[in-house]
Amino acid sequence: MKRKQGFWTKIGVRIPLVLWSLAVLYPILWMILGAFKSNAEIYSNPWGLPDTFSFGNFFDAWSNYNIDISVFNSLIVTGVGALLTLVMAIPTAYALERLRFRGNRLLFTLYISAMMIPMVLGWIPLFFLLMQLNLLDNIFGLAIVYAVSQLPFSIFVLTSFMATIPKSLEEAAAIDGMSPYKILWKIITPLSMTGIITVTIMNMIQFWNEYFMALIFLQSENNYTLALAIDYISNETQYTNSWGTLFASLVIAIVPVIILYAIFQRRIVKGMTEGAIKG
Amino acid sequence: MVQSKKQRYLFMAFCLVPTFLMFAIFTLYPLVNGLYYSLFQWSGSSSAAEFIGLENYRKLFNDDIIPATIWHDYFLVITKIIGIMILSTFFAVALTQMRIKEAPFYRIVFFFPNIMSVVVIGILWMFIYNPSLGLVNSGLEFLGLEGWTRSWLGSERWALPSLVLPSVWAGIGLFMLMLMGGISNISKSYYEAAEIDGANGWQQFWKITLPLVWPQMKISILYIIITTLNGSFIIVQVMTKGGPNNATHVMGSYLYEEAFVKYNFGYGATIGVMILVLSLITVLIMQYFMRREKVEY
Repeated sequence: MKRKQGFWTKIGVRIPLVLWSLAVLYPILWMILGAFKSNAEIYSNPWGLPDTFSFGNFFDAWSNYNIDISVFNSLIVTGVGALLTLVMAIPTAYALERLRFRGNRLLFTLYISAMMIPMVLGWIPLFFLLMQLNLLDNIFGLAIVYAVSQLPFSIFVLTSFMATIPKSLEEAAAIDGMSPYKILWKIITPLSMTGIITVTIMNMIQFWNEYFMALIFLQSENNYTLALAIDYISNETQYTNSWGTLFASLVIAIVPVIILYAIFQRRIVKGMTEGAIKG
Repeated sequence: MVQSKKQRYLFMAFCLVPTFLMFAIFTLYPLVNGLYYSLFQWSGSSSAAEFIGLENYRKLFNDDIIPATIWHDYFLVITKIIGIMILSTFFAVALTQMRIKEAPFYRIVFFFPNIMSVVVIGILWMFIYNPSLGLVNSGLEFLGLEGWTRSWLGSERWALPSLVLPSVWAGIGLFMLMLMGGISNISKSYYEAAEIDGANGWQQFWKITLPLVWPQMKISILYIIITTLNGSFIIVQVMTKGGPNNATHVMGSYLYEEAFVKYNFGYGATIGVMILVLSLITVLIMQYFMRREKVEY
């Protein structure tokens, strides 16, 4: 737009933008500050700065509420899940993008439409399936379920990345006598690294944050992921009122996400908007 | 390619079969089996599964809570669409067309809640709504509106509307960015031509921006519908567990309670079938209503 915008228009537009920024930042900031306050201070001065920064709440959450175990469990589930997703998604994405075979389109559509189907219905049979496979209440069982649940999204993003790799590279390698396995491993995988990293970050955030499947498929406290442990503390807080401990555990949960976002902000944004536009 | 047919098939099988098997076992089989479970009365122990045909469906139609859960789900769908679309359209237009220097800052901040865990968002907002300490009531008192303060999540009337704000808060960023992508693809020449014809900013918005960004809006609306019908129960579970007195139960949280708290697995599966059918019908109907000839200038 060429027209000069008036001074007042610019101010008027900024008011909602600034207000919404405050609405987003203030609760998060305040949660982080709350984690450093004593309980008495949270009651006397819930929305201000703490008098002294104390790490007592973190120690309490870490040792008395088993946050240490659940952080470890969440790391395992996130890592194993993300790796497993790649192992399953990369070869399939390559085959769907490059190999010609009957049913190619159909298979692709099947995977993609699974992104739109509500999985709640499947969770009841899945519960009993995991029980039969001895994977119920098992963080590796949960990692498998997570990995399969992110397959459609991962395949979708990876195929679109692989489509941009020139075919001539593979053809040249095949003429040199390279086996297709090697082509996939030595040429396609390194060249689609951008896509692989995007998908992996998205999946890791997803797995780190996931709550409901963990709630259904994990039962004993020793297997709780971070999301379940926090929910447990939150339910306790209604009786104990130890808000400081709760905030400390929320901060522990959110810090890795903030770090990933700080480093990979562009990729995350791109991955999510593209994932949503698949419809 | 110099490879025998057999090798080619072997490679193809290597690529496709293991993944598809995992997908079939952990996604397709449970979905299909869910339909089958809905015909049984079953409390979990394998001996007690009893085939009861469509009895669960009859129960579903006579269950007083079911219509309420459906209404709650669609209440969330509608309010989220209105809230998110108005705000994210406004922000998207402001950030793309107003030449705001600090636009990247707003983009980064607004998007952040999209990658926060629903558990964290839910707990954060439970505290914001906390009757004695929370920001909402303190804010109202500060403004001198003591009469408006209440126990937001504890009130049957206000608990469900109170869930809308956290969902909008968490959702704005993604949809704003999708719309910004659409707006930045609109050729500048349309606006220049409109400028010459003397159209003001408001007219340009209605006549150029809105029609040309319609595909992105349509996708956003469908995406809100799908994610709400398939996921609203998560924030409900975290913040209210369906209470008080079922006032916030949505279909998914009711399924969870029936299946995994009361161990009525057959009936739970029936609710799951209802969720599947309703979300498919809703998406199809919305796609029909929102089809609109592509605008080309």
